[in-house]
Amino acid sequence: MGILLGIITGIAFGYVLQRGRVCFNSAFRDLKLLKDNFLFKAVIFAMALEVITFHFMAQYGWIHLNPKPLNLVANIIGPFIFGMGMVLAGGCASGTTYRVGEGNTTAWLAVFSYGLGAWATKAGIFSPLLKAVGKYTVKIQYSNPLYLTDKSGKVSPTLATLFHISPWTMAWIVFAIFIIYVLFTKTSERPDSKLSWWAIGLLLLPIAAFGFWSSTISGRPYGLGITGGWISIFKSFTLNKSLSWEGAEVLGVIIGALIAALINKEFKFRVPKKGSTYLQVLVGGLMLGFGAAFGGGCNIGHFFTGIPQLALSSWIAGVFFILGNWTMTWIMYERG
Amino acid sequence: MEVKPTKTIDERGEVCPVPDVDTKRALKKMKKGEILEVLIDYPLSKERIPATVKKEGHEVLAVEEIGPSEWRILIKV
Repeated sequence: MGILLGIITGIAFGYVLQRGRVCFNSAFRDLKLLKDNFLFKAVIFAMALEVITFHFMAQYGWIHLNPKPLNLVANIIGPFIFGMGMVLAGGCASGTTYRVGEGNTTAWLAVFSYGLGAWATKAGIFSPLLKAVGKYTVKIQYSNPLYLTDKSGKVSPTLATLFHISPWTMAWIVFAIFIIYVLFTKTSERPDSKLSWWAIGLLLLPIAAFGFWSSTISGRPYGLGITGGWISIFKSFTLNKSLSWEGAEVLGVIIGALIAALINKEFKFRVPKKGSTYLQVLVGGLMLGFGAAFGGGCNIGHFFTGIPQLALSSWIAGVFFILGNWTMTWIMYERG
Repeated sequence: MEVKPTKTIDERGEVCPVPDVDTKRALKKMKKGEILEVLIDYPLSKERIPATVKKEGHEVLAVEEIGPSEWRILIKV
């Protein structure tokens, strides 16, 4: 059942990612490199809607908010490396994954080293590093029916617990800030885009909501993610473990993007002219995998699903995703 | 569109955002009135390049399909 729900979620997600060209690497980088906010606005609009929707779903007990662990060392270093890696890999977690379905051969290599790097950090050669920073994880005693608490009644801190206000108040504040940004800043035109920025945002919302709910009833109390999915795919391939909801979701993303690309005649085996491009995306993918597993999540798990839950860890990670992305963009494309 | 491009750059197969960056760099080196032809197979850049070069004051003459998921963009400096 979990696999079926995951695949359904993933196919819808992959379809919208491909049609909307939703790549967080582009969203972050275009702000700086091209002074273009089209994709960034699409993502912020979706997240504004998610903030309210997730809190509403938690209020009715359909899901529980489950902020990712706060660990200042990991949440800064991991996302910074991830942010740099997405520039080298030519895409973020979701961007490289959906482009697998478009026939982008560099993305095939990138997701391979991404999954391998993530798994090596979770359970392999890099796992001592992850273990070493574990001691900096902070949890707090907090009781609120909206949240999933651990056995000792603790949760990871959120913006609401940081400012000592109710989750709903904080949710509306964040919603208002995001909506003000979306409505009252100038939008970069992209007349040839198949979907407008607000259509992308509106289409992503039901997928994120259905994903969070269907993942929860499948025994994984969290929303959309990519990194854990790739780890699950690797595990099922090499260790014969059964695929998790998230693993099925990632396979669904590839299928959904493939369908979208085929229908719209955008599928093609894309091969770069320079062989060194493969080396670049290989390194980038490893950085994505290490950064995501070390920092507690990728741009989907942390940014897209964590920020709307107001998780402090995800807000910090979000800042460092962007800083890492801008640093590598400068090194690769802006110098000289 | 029947025009003779002054310069052609082949960006097929390149990763994001190399086509955008190469286009920007090529345009910077060209003189007013010259025409740049960009061959491309990456859907996101096919939509983004016309939007960003217009913002920089160049004219997009055409975006034409030249093959399966391949396009050429003609830009007048």
